[in-house]
This record gives sequence, structure tokens and C-alpha cells, in this order.
Amino acid sequence: MSEDQDKFIADVVEKALQGDMDAINNIEDRVTRSKAKAALVKAKREAKAAATEDTSKSEESKTEESAPVEKSLSEKVAACLNEKFPNSLESEDVNGHIQMKDKNWFEIAQYLRDNLDFLFDSLQCVTGYDFGENEDLEVRYNLHSMTHNHAIEIRIKTDRNNPKVPSVEQVWRIGDWFERETYDMYGIEFEGHSNMTRILCPEDWAGWPLRKDYETQESYHGIVVPKVKDGWE
Amino acid sequence: MGVLENRFQDNVVVASMDKLLGWARSTSPWFFQFGLACCAIEMMATAASRYDLMRIGMIPRSSPRQADVMIVAGTVTMKMSLRVKKLYEQMADPKYVIAMGSCATSGGPYWQHGYHVLKGVDLVVPVDVYIPGCPPRPEALIEGLLKLQEKIQADRPLTKKIA
Amino acid sequence: MGVVHGDLMTLNIGPQHPSTHGVLRLKVKTDGEIISEVEPIIGYLHRCFEKHCENVSYEQVIPYTDRCDYIAAMNNNFGYAVTVEELMEIKVPERVEYIRVIVAELNRIASHLLALGAYGLDVGAFTPFLYMFRDRERILDLFETLCGARLLYNYIWVGGVSHDLPPGFIDAVYSFLDYFEPKIEEYNELLTYNKIFIERTGDVGVMPPEVAVSYGVTGPNLRGSGVKWDIRKDEPYSIYDKFDFNIPVGAGKMGTVGDCWDRYFVRMVEMKESVKITRQALKGIPAGDVHQTLPKKIRPPQGSIYKRTESPRGDLAYYIVSDGSPIPYRLKMRSPAFTALSVLGEISQGWMMSDVLVILGSLDIVLGEIDR
Repeated sequence: MSEDQDKFIADVVEKALQGDMDAINNIEDRVTRSKAKAALVKAKREAKAAATEDTSKSEESKTEESAPVEKSLSEKVAACLNEKFPNSLESEDVNGHIQMKDKNWFEIAQYLRDNLDFLFDSLQCVTGYDFGENEDLEVRYNLHSMTHNHAIEIRIKTDRNNPKVPSVEQVWRIGDWFERETYDMYGIEFEGHSNMTRILCPEDWAGWPLRKDYETQESYHGIVVPKVKDGWE
Repeated sequence: MGVLENRFQDNVVVASMDKLLGWARSTSPWFFQFGLACCAIEMMATAASRYDLMRIGMIPRSSPRQADVMIVAGTVTMKMSLRVKKLYEQMADPKYVIAMGSCATSGGPYWQHGYHVLKGVDLVVPVDVYIPGCPPRPEALIEGLLKLQEKIQADRPLTKKIA
Repeated sequence: MGVVHGDLMTLNIGPQHPSTHGVLRLKVKTDGEIISEVEPIIGYLHRCFEKHCENVSYEQVIPYTDRCDYIAAMNNNFGYAVTVEELMEIKVPERVEYIRVIVAELNRIASHLLALGAYGLDVGAFTPFLYMFRDRERILDLFETLCGARLLYNYIWVGGVSHDLPPGFIDAVYSFLDYFEPKIEEYNELLTYNKIFIERTGDVGVMPPEVAVSYGVTGPNLRGSGVKWDIRKDEPYSIYDKFDFNIPVGAGKMGTVGDCWDRYFVRMVEMKESVKITRQALKGIPAGDVHQTLPKKIRPPQGSIYKRTESPRGDLAYYIVSDGSPIPYRLKMRSPAFTALSVLGEISQGWMMSDVLVILGSLDIVLGEIDR
């Protein structure tokens, strides 16, 4: 009985791989139908794995013949920075972003902006990031070059209890407001900033709102802050 | 009323002072344009060519001293709430407040996790008419204004003073 | 005769002012009439958008993105949907792409109409405001037949759009475009080439291109300074690489390159280009099912992405970090008006009090986007 069933399922899966799903959908017995569908998924996965193996094998053989693999922009920048400013990268691995120490970030920023190969003349975005309660904070910079039209991402970790990062306000003028916003939301202080004050929340607001362990204050100048009507979930 | 009724021709109208004052006040309330957020765009659209607000007697005034009605259009935040209170106190009596949109009524879509959003402008100023919607259509705003006109009409300022 | 200098006077153009385009406070230090320093103070509309995004699911974020830049809501939705789709590697059907481009460009026209109308109001011209609103109402009518809402649509979803085009929509858009193109000439006669307008805005508030790039200014403000940069052409997303349109840049026709008139004129010409793009999209729209690739549950793989799109105000970008759950871990919206406002202090030094509001109007800011 099971042998017949296996053969039947194999036939039906063959037909489905050609594109005819009716054979499976028309099976009346629920158990057999679900077995057939599971077999079909497995067969498709194996076919896909075989196909990618073939293509990767052919690609590998191609690349072995031709020149060495081209580095991505982040890897090039990381290699260059490692030469010029030794011991300033946190880690050598680059998966789309460059992890840096906060030591000489200001000089590195000036170098990135002025070096003719890179010319990162525009700071697109500064994001604060919280890894979780009692974990580190991080600042992420997205840089872009208008002349060469390429972009990289730089991340700098900092300690939660005393977060300090050098300011790049004098390198890209928009750093002024972006850093004030990150200070307002996360409490990260940027050393060298001319006006480190809150920009979005009021001056006398308590707490760093976007941190994961933020608790809303009960009242502000006598006005109630949290949602007033309870039990409306 | 009473003795004077129907004694004169049709072009003499007799009414009580209260009704006359109510009619004069309600048919030309000048509004204080206090547009804060998205509802302000609908308020501008209501005052523009298609839904003309001037045909019901409302003109936008930028100074609180010259306005009768304050239309709070948009989300009020904690930073702004102190200024809303100040502006309300600067308006001259009699003054009315319309809370336009769901943000001004109760905090709107930001009421659950908004740490900086005031959950309804009636926590700082007394509100007369609430207009729900996000944003309310210009027709809804006009309906709210007409309801406010009814409310002003039903106000009895002189009677209150004597009583 | 010597020049008389006194102490600097601090003036407050408060959060409530008819021409601050929302709740913006300007702290101005003047020496008589001449400005010596302008400091914009923001935060009066901070509605905790990023905190909300960390607590609601990916689909529920879309109405919140609407309310950030409430004048160009479709473009906000578009940017967010494109970002999440790239993170999840979803490819939407052709029909959805065409519909998205049509509504985004119509919304661009509507947004520019409001910006230019309000700018005329700032400068002192009331009539163009009413004319431009009349035409804006027609676009809002089209959007109302499409998705039911006039201002905040919640229309472009991750993986598709919420409703298909109703019958008769394409003809209605064609008739609107035929009605609208001659109106641009009308506006040019009313406002653009008006002598008083040129005197008030030509040569005022010049923004040199290096200052613009350093302050991160993008969009029509940057193009007004002569820099030819548009994300629809330089880093195309969706199907913008299939359309043929020009990028207008400021050329200093009525004064210096980068003055207020240039920024105004770039927006005026952009409306014409949007009409061109919409016509091409309407001609090529294929049939199909718009709900085909809507995912049942949005659960992107772990990772982060930064994607830029072109909103009517400039370069709108979303930075999303996902940890594999149906709720975003971190979502940051990089708004173009934030950077545009930061340059106000730099370009308004030395001008007179009445020029500050002219310069502010030419930057076309929306406080909802700045404060999020």
C-alpha cells in the first residue's frame, strides 16, 4: 500500500514540477494530498540547490581564470583608513559598514571629506542606536559623495553610562543639528559641539526618549503626560 | 413682544436685547488662525476658493486680540501647550475654542506612545466644540462652525448679568 | 556722516505667526532692520514618530509616515514601501509601479501648488493662492475617488497598493492634465514675471552650492543653486529610469544663481515635468492584479537598509534596522526639510527683517517632517 502511495506521489510531483498543479489539488484524501505537497516543496528546494551549485561552480571557474575579486567601496575605505590612521578601526570585517573607534573620528572625517578618491562631501544621516537595556549605544553615519556618487556607512559604539563621541560639526555643517537631535533622543554627548542642547523636546524634559528603557514622566509643568483614558485598549 | 406686537408695519422688528446680541455675535465670528499640523491644511482649504469660509462671516485674524474663536487645528505638544494657554489668555472675552481633528480632541493617533503629545487640548483650555476626523473634511469643519454659531446664539449674556 | 550702530535687538517671531508655515520659532537678532543672526527653534510639533515605529508593526507604520510630511503624503508612503520592499526583496508587479508613479507625481504637483501659493501669500499676493488652491482641489478630488481620503491616504502599502484604479480614473487624469497645463502659463503671468515679485525675491537669500551641499540641502533648494542632482535620475528607484524628463536647475535669470526666485522657478518648471511623466505613465500602464504580491505577514530578515527617494521637498530617506520580528527595531526618517531649515541662519545674514520671511518661504518647509 505504501509503495503504491509513494509511486503515486512521485508521479503527481513530476507532473507538478512541469507546472500542472491540478493533479495534486484533485487528490481527495487529505493525508495523501499534504504528503504530496511536502514532497513537491522538497523537490523544488533540491532543484534550486542544484541549479545554484552549477552556477556558482561556473562562476568560480570564471573568476579563477580572470583577475582577483574586486573590493567593495567599504573595504577600500577601510583598508585606506587602516593605513593612514592605524588602530582606529574597531574590526577588520566589513559587511556593508565600517565599525570604528571614537578616537580620532574628527580627523578621519576631514580626511574622508577632502581625499580626492573619496570626496564624501555630504553627511546624509546620523542615527542613534540602542542595542538593548544595559547594552551599548551606537552612532551610525551615512556618508555620500556628490561627485563620485558612492556611499558608505560608519558606526561608532559608545558606552551607555558615559556616551561621548567627537563632534563633526565643523566638517559637515549639518552635523550641528543632527548631533543635537541624537543628543536629545539618546543622551550621547558630542565633544566639541558649540551648542549641545536639546532640539526637539523642551529644554527641561527629563530622560532620553528613544532609549529602550525610557519611562515617560508623569507630568510636565502640571499637565498630565501619559495617556489619560485607561482601559480603552 | 406683547403690547408692541403687530402694531407697526413689516419693516419694524421687535426683539429682546439678548437675541440681537446673539445674532450679531454668531454671524461674524472672526477666527484666530492657529494651524499646527495637517488639520491646518484642511483649514486653509476651507478658507480658500472652493469651500469659502467668508460666506459664513469668518475671516482669519493673526492676532489673538482681534479674534473671537480659536480653532486649534492639529496636534498640541507639551512644548506648545504652554503657548496655547498664553494665547488663549490673550484673547478678549467673549471667546470660544474649537478643537479640530482627533489630535486636538484626545491626542489622535499619537495617544498611546506619544510621550510629548498632549492628549487633548481640553487639558489646558476649555473647549466648546469638538470636530472629529483625521483630518476632518472641510464640510465637517463648516458643520462644526455652524454648531458653534448655534451655541453662541443660545448664549444669554445680559440675562446672566442681571441674574 | 558716520553710521550709527547700537546694541543688537532680540526679536521673537513666535510659534504662532501667519507666515511661519507651521509652528516654528525664529529668534532674530537685528541691528535696526538688518539681520545679524537668525536661530530657528523647532520641536513644537514633535510627535514621537520614531518611538511609535518601534512599537507598531510594519503595516501600521504607514499612516504615521503620512502624517510626517502631510502635504506630500503619497511620496512618504512611497519611500517607506520601497525601503521595506528592498529589505524583504519583494518585486511588485508592473501595474503597481505605474500606479505609484502616477499618484506620486500628482502629489508632487499638488505639493508644489500649495508651496507656491503660500509663498505668494508670504510675499503679499493673495490671488495666486486662491487660483492654486482651486487647481489643488481638483487633484484632491482625483485622490478621493481613488482611495477615499483627501489629505492623508495610507494608499501605497508594502508590496502593492491598497485599491486598484476605479473605472474612469485614467480618463479623469487625462482631462485634468489637459486642463492644468495652460494654467501654468496663467501662474507665470500672475506671479512669476510680476515686477514686484521679482524685486522682492530676485537676488535675495543667495545660497552658494558649497554651502548647500555642506548643509545637506537637497531637492529644489539645491537645484535652485545650480547643482543638477535628482534621485529620480541619479539613483533611480521604482521605474523612473523608463521615463523621459528634464531636471530644471536655477540659472540666475532674475538675479544671482541660487536666489529665492530661482528656487521658486525650479518648482514651477518641475510641475511641468511632472505632467510629462504622468502622461507617459498613463500611456504605458499595463493590466494586472495590484494585490498579487502583498505579503501576508511582513517579517523582514535581519539587517539594515538606507534608501533614498525624491519627495517634493528633497531627498527623503529611511534607515530601517530589522531584527526579524514583525515590528521594526529602529526606524529613522531623514527628512529633507530638516536640512533645508538648518541653512536659514547662514543665508539670511545681512538681509532686512522682511526678507527673512521671503527666504523662509522659498525653502518650502513642513514642520511635521522636521519635528517628526
